[in-house]
Amino acid sequence: MNGHAMRARAGSWLLLAVLLGGWEAYCRLSGVSALVVPAPSAVLETLVSELATGRLWPHIRVTATEMLLGLALGCSVGFLAGVVLGEVEGLRRLLYPYVIASQVVPKLALAPLFLIWFGFGMTSVVVITALICFFPLLENTMTALRQVDPAKLELFRMLRATRLQTLVRLKIPAGLPVILAGVRVAVVLALVGAVVGEFIGGRQGLGASIIAAQGMMDSTLMFALFAVITALGLIVYQATVHLERWLLRRLSKG
Amino acid sequence: MATMRTAALRRPPAAGPHAPGFVTLEGARYTYDREVIVDGVDWRIAHGAFHCLVGRSGCGKTTLLKLAAGLLAPTDGRVLIDGAAVREPSGRVGFVFQAPTLLEWLSALDNVLLPVSLKRRPGPDDRAAALELLDLVGLGGLEGRRPGELSGGQQSRVAIARALAGEPAVLLLDEPFAALDALTREDLQQDLLRLCALRRTTVLFVTHDIAEAVFLADRVAVMEAGRIRHTLDIPLPRPRGRDLRYGADFNALCRDLRAAMDGAP
Repeated sequence: MNGHAMRARAGSWLLLAVLLGGWEAYCRLSGVSALVVPAPSAVLETLVSELATGRLWPHIRVTATEMLLGLALGCSVGFLAGVVLGEVEGLRRLLYPYVIASQVVPKLALAPLFLIWFGFGMTSVVVITALICFFPLLENTMTALRQVDPAKLELFRMLRATRLQTLVRLKIPAGLPVILAGVRVAVVLALVGAVVGEFIGGRQGLGASIIAAQGMMDSTLMFALFAVITALGLIVYQATVHLERWLLRRLSKG
Repeated sequence: MATMRTAALRRPPAAGPHAPGFVTLEGARYTYDREVIVDGVDWRIAHGAFHCLVGRSGCGKTTLLKLAAGLLAPTDGRVLIDGAAVREPSGRVGFVFQAPTLLEWLSALDNVLLPVSLKRRPGPDDRAAALELLDLVGLGGLEGRRPGELSGGQQSRVAIARALAGEPAVLLLDEPFAALDALTREDLQQDLLRLCALRRTTVLFVTHDIAEAVFLADRVAVMEAGRIRHTLDIPLPRPRGRDLRYGADFNALCRDLRAAMDGAP
């Protein structure tokens, strides 16, 4: 990291400190009720005690599991569907209007229906998360496969490559950056899917805990849970970015 | 691979430009959307000969090359290579595209190995052959580089090595040096001549650069509106070196070719 980037990063941290300090000062000086806006120090205290007593860990585990399972399921099915629609022109033309239509459907609005189908708990949340992750992968994979350089396709024809070889050796590697951008979008959506899915149909997890904290009017705990969810999202997002870099590097080594 | 090499050696040596064609186009026509792109071209290239096809953009020269490659099928007429009709791409024909069209995620070596690797898992022999080819095109020691780490000229060299990887009897090139600077282009022309002479490859080279055509070819065809309007034999001695470009003969031939292109109705 060069000096410029280092200074920029230091600035970001400084801004965070100023914002937190301002928030803390506002809570202390204005005498606003902790029920409305809890002070950051109180949130931190709650967070530490929740983590220390171990009450929070099972919920983190549940939400992380739902998110990762939904992500894996939605991404793999979305990728495969994207490959099929990207490769089979007739099928793409037949199904594309439906794909567009289903993108407009607010997937979370289907959650109550999934509760009837799969019951309360993890399965419903995983299915909702998977459904949300499905579309960015479908869209990006399909686009990536269809925008391969025509000259390279001609090269593969000249080399008498089979359709499968053209797909695996040319189209997918050439489209990988676009496909991985879809994965990054899916990661962000997966967290929303898991948390909001739990609002509606979860017994356990961070989303369910927020609803429980709301029931107890415990704003401090809710803020602590927001912090945990944000951290979870950042960790998974960073992991994806690293996975992406690793995949592209591996690919470029051949 | 070895059988192909001996088969190539057993074939009779190249005769003059009027010898029976190794690559033959007979009344080749190609229409697209009722528009005639290639309009009845007859052309013969003797085994081991180097022919250039010149013409302005949009005259149908790239389409003609794709017909010869089997990438397009003629609407009428025939394309023959060594007496057999060409209906689809074959391993006997190598093609170099306008852009290097290298796979960015593969090393130079793996790009050269691509044709082989689509048929089988490349063995040590294949790797050795590919390394030798890279050496021949002047890229010895750069086999580990990816296309992004190579200059434009070096990328073109990799593309030529890849096209030669299957030891094709015929090499078709579609303005491969058009995007390069003049000096690099001259170096590559020289190296291409050397390589093709070494392997006795039959070549059809499409270009719009008059000096390039005269320097490379035994014979130049001038294409205009889908037809071959003129042909010009280039009787310059081989091997051709850099000094040739500054000789009176060379410049006279360039002038003739330019006149032929302007004279094309």
